Amino acid sequence: MTSLSFELTIGILKIFSFVVPVLVSVALLVYLERKVLGAVQLRKGPNVVGPFGILQSFADVLKLLTKENLLPSSSNKFLFIFAPMLTLILSLIAWAVIPISSTYVIANINIGILYLFAVSSFGVYGVIIAGWASNSKYPFLGALRSAAQMISYEVSIGFVIITVLICVGSLNLIDIVESQKNMWFAIPLLPMFVIFIISALAETNRLPFDLPEDEATLVAGFFTEYSSISFGLFFLAEYANMILMSSLTVILFLGGWYPPIDIFPLNAIPGIFWFVIKVFLILFVFLWVRATFPRYRYDQLMRLGWKIFLPFTLIWVVITSAFLFYFGLLPN
Amino acid sequence: MFLVGSFFLFAAFLITTCIFVIFSKNPVNSVLFLVLAFLNSTFLFILIGAEFVGIILAIVYIGAVAILFLFVVMMLDIQITTLMFNIKRYIPLALLFAGIILAEIIYLTVFKTSKDNLDTFIRSKNNTEQIGDVLYTEYFIDFQLSGIVLLLAMIGAIVLTHVYRPTIKRQNIESQNSTTAEDRVKLVKIKPGEGIKDD
Repeated sequence: MTSLSFELTIGILKIFSFVVPVLVSVALLVYLERKVLGAVQLRKGPNVVGPFGILQSFADVLKLLTKENLLPSSSNKFLFIFAPMLTLILSLIAWAVIPISSTYVIANINIGILYLFAVSSFGVYGVIIAGWASNSKYPFLGALRSAAQMISYEVSIGFVIITVLICVGSLNLIDIVESQKNMWFAIPLLPMFVIFIISALAETNRLPFDLPEDEATLVAGFFTEYSSISFGLFFLAEYANMILMSSLTVILFLGGWYPPIDIFPLNAIPGIFWFVIKVFLILFVFLWVRATFPRYRYDQLMRLGWKIFLPFTLIWVVITSAFLFYFGLLPN
Repeated sequence: MFLVGSFFLFAAFLITTCIFVIFSKNPVNSVLFLVLAFLNSTFLFILIGAEFVGIILAIVYIGAVAILFLFVVMMLDIQITTLMFNIKRYIPLALLFAGIILAEIIYLTVFKTSKDNLDTFIRSKNNTEQIGDVLYTEYFIDFQLSGIVLLLAMIGAIVLTHVYRPTIKRQNIESQNSTTAEDRVKLVKIKPGEGIKDD
């Protein structure tokens, strides 16, 4: 019995060692986003709370916590409260399979990549339940947009993942990273890498694809009716999802915890450092895109997903597998 | 012990959620309970060691099919009372299907007892590879045929519902991108009293 409780304690500690850094980095990411946007728009960004304004997000969280949580009178109360919880839970349970070094992972399962794909596709439920339970026009429109958008871009994400899997020959995330020891997949599969990042923007509802919460037309989209901490949970989940998709990009295309070149001073640095640096770079691209591009129109979004990405990724799956087959490079 | 306990837990949840799917007054709640039922069957698949089948079930049914169900059901304006009244009409059909499935289960458990074969198949370490091995060799034709059936269904649905409206305005992105300033704007110097000549 002691060994079981010991394992349980270790497991819980491991979970906390993932969840706490993720939540802290969400706060820092929000700060970083405001700083980057400020720099791009020639402003200062937050600079009052704490040194360089670094405590701004924590102050915002405190403010959200002390506000009153409003429930619309004609909403479906249970689902209205349940939706933000579901969104945050889904964005956190995905971390169970993310390996941040060759040994440090909560659950090293055979089908890690499928698990991540499944969890990220469940993410739409939080949005769609929130939109319906609010019983209001704008949230409902936001939920419908979000459902169509996330399903459309999951198709191309699926094909991108299949291309990587053909090159690896395993669904295990550690195997995927270890097969990139000599060359990151971002180099031979560059078009797929670009498509994956764009689809990740759409999957996380980030600009230029943030039509579910398009403030110009839908007030705040699916969380119009949310206030206080239930809004805060959606906010946390959105940024946690951004970090998750960035980690997935790093694992699939940028060689996970491996240094760029396998030479002495670089490979002496612990793998987690490289992992965090790469995730940070991808996150910076997310913020940079937000500052640079205007929002897509909805029909343009659908056109990009179905008429450009879907045929392109489908053809690339065929080309990659044919190439690997004829040159005898298929993994075992 | 742990496995047996979790089996009964998830099986009980599965049956409960299925009952709620049928008896929920609100169709949206029905679909959400259906999602829970799919999730529980995923857990059951993972418990017998078929994690690939389980997770694919989750991706396809929860991640895509049930969302589209929810999408459609949310937009319907159904009178709840008529829905409850209509349920009695479907009981004979439901009993027929239940009988067929029960017969299948009895046939599989009582008459076809090649359990060792199934066990070695499922218990092996990586069932993803095993499924791939038989799917693309032994069942290649069936696999391709089912793909063609799905494609036909998709094209059929599009053909049946798509209405071509020639008057609708569409955006031609290629022509927009290839437009130059000369196509749209013309600088004209006008002498006083002459106006613009139309050419």
